[in-house]
Amino acid sequence: MHDLGPEDVRRLAAALSISLDGEDATEIAHRLNAFLDALGALEGLPLDTVEPWPTSPEGAA
Amino acid sequence: MSSGSDELAFASASRQAALMREKRLSPVELITAYLERIERLDERLRAFITVCGESALVEAKRAESEAARGEWRGPLHGIPFAVKDQLDTAGILTTSGSALLRGHVPTEDSTVVAKLKDAGGILIGKLNLTEFALGGTLRFPYGQPRNPWNDQHDPGGSSSGSGIAAAAALCSITLGEDTGGSVRSPASYCGAVGLRPTWGRVSRHGCFPAAWSMDQVGPLTRTVEDAALVLGLIAGYDEKDPTTSRSAVPDYRAALDAGVKQLRIGVITELVDGADTHAEVRDAVREAARALAGLGARVEDISLPLIPHAGGVFMALCDSEAAGRHQSWLATRPQEYDAGTRRRLVAAGLIPATAVHRAARARALIREQIRHALEKFDLLLAPTSPHPAPPIASHTAPVASKGEAGRRFFGRRSYTTPASLAGVPAISLPCGFTAAALPVGLQLIGRPLAESTVLTAARAWEKTAGLTDRHPPLP
Repeated sequence: MHDLGPEDVRRLAAALSISLDGEDATEIAHRLNAFLDALGALEGLPLDTVEPWPTSPEGAA
Repeated sequence: MSSGSDELAFASASRQAALMREKRLSPVELITAYLERIERLDERLRAFITVCGESALVEAKRAESEAARGEWRGPLHGIPFAVKDQLDTAGILTTSGSALLRGHVPTEDSTVVAKLKDAGGILIGKLNLTEFALGGTLRFPYGQPRNPWNDQHDPGGSSSGSGIAAAAALCSITLGEDTGGSVRSPASYCGAVGLRPTWGRVSRHGCFPAAWSMDQVGPLTRTVEDAALVLGLIAGYDEKDPTTSRSAVPDYRAALDAGVKQLRIGVITELVDGADTHAEVRDAVREAARALAGLGARVEDISLPLIPHAGGVFMALCDSEAAGRHQSWLATRPQEYDAGTRRRLVAAGLIPATAVHRAARARALIREQIRHALEKFDLLLAPTSPHPAPPIASHTAPVASKGEAGRRFFGRRSYTTPASLAGVPAISLPCGFTAAALPVGLQLIGRPLAESTVLTAARAWEKTAGLTDRHPPLP
């Protein structure tokens, strides 16, 4: 996947009614690309073997 | 202030409470001593957003009269406490560290504040934090909090003021809130004790949410005994928070000195020996592990290969939850946020839903790995942070690349977020100092609802380490 740039980020944010200045859009693009890389790296894990249930207080250790 | 009153200020709350029962210390004397310290030190440290000096003195006089009549409200009778400004306090400004809530005055106490008051505690003030307890604040609207060991260094966050106030003896005990390390990180950087309880052990009612599925209120104190004391007072089912556990709350102080002879402790190699771990941190934590083995614990290394993913997974889940909470304000009041918070929240709001779902499944895998390890071991041991408190200036430069964003925002979080993702208790306590005299934090992670085991092992290390009497070099 190509990295997103500041203009991509501006358009995505506009869909959430959020307007961004240049400095914000540039840094948010770096942060979002870092997220996409980190979460992309999870694809090699056996994610289909578990259900994404939230933490429960009593736990099952 | 005389050295005698310094000694009083740095005494544990447990000790102060005992002195009050023996009529050797009065609530007014104690509150006055702390208000003097706050006046003298906090202009620089900026631990407090609000100091409740007048009301605290009124309460102290009442507590003194009650004590004179032999009436004791509870174990904290006359003991001053302060809480992170994320926790509601009736009639007192509660900002969550944000300019957006500059005029917000709740009408009801959060459950944890009400419980400490019921135990006789006296609220002395509200403590500074990173904006909305999220971390990464560039400009603090209520002043830059500073590390009491070196004021050019970060005190940690998000419960920054709680860590400072505990370590610098600006009150007897404090409360923070830990989503991904927000109690443990300031405890580590400031040289305090910070406990994240099991998710659901303590009510979140009246706590402004960072991320609902991981938020948990916990104590920051100067001693393990005080952490046990406070946890015993704030833990338990609360009908106002349906996620709280109905399990009975044990007497956490009863078994504190049971020792570690029967305990099996796993040392997480990815965190202790990882490439990101500072050599002085690694050495201090390894020394603590050896010392616990010397006390009779069975200590072994364990590899948890999913741990390095924890920071990124946590940030995706925490920040997307937070982005949902903040979306309308981000659209209508964006300039009232600190730029660091705004960028963090907007970035998270743009993560594709499929990627967030992938993170949720990865959380389940990480939790499974940690809980499986906790079937073999009673406790897991690691550094709280890969490094000692960094300079404040290191946080404020613009993020120049995605690689830098990953290192800066995900990497160090892999040390504290595993316990958050797994919903299990974890404590940070001092385990040494670097050559530059900055504290190093030891983290002990336990089974769900096994805070007693965590506290017992922490107490054993605390007694062995003998670091409780080392105080920050304050004027």
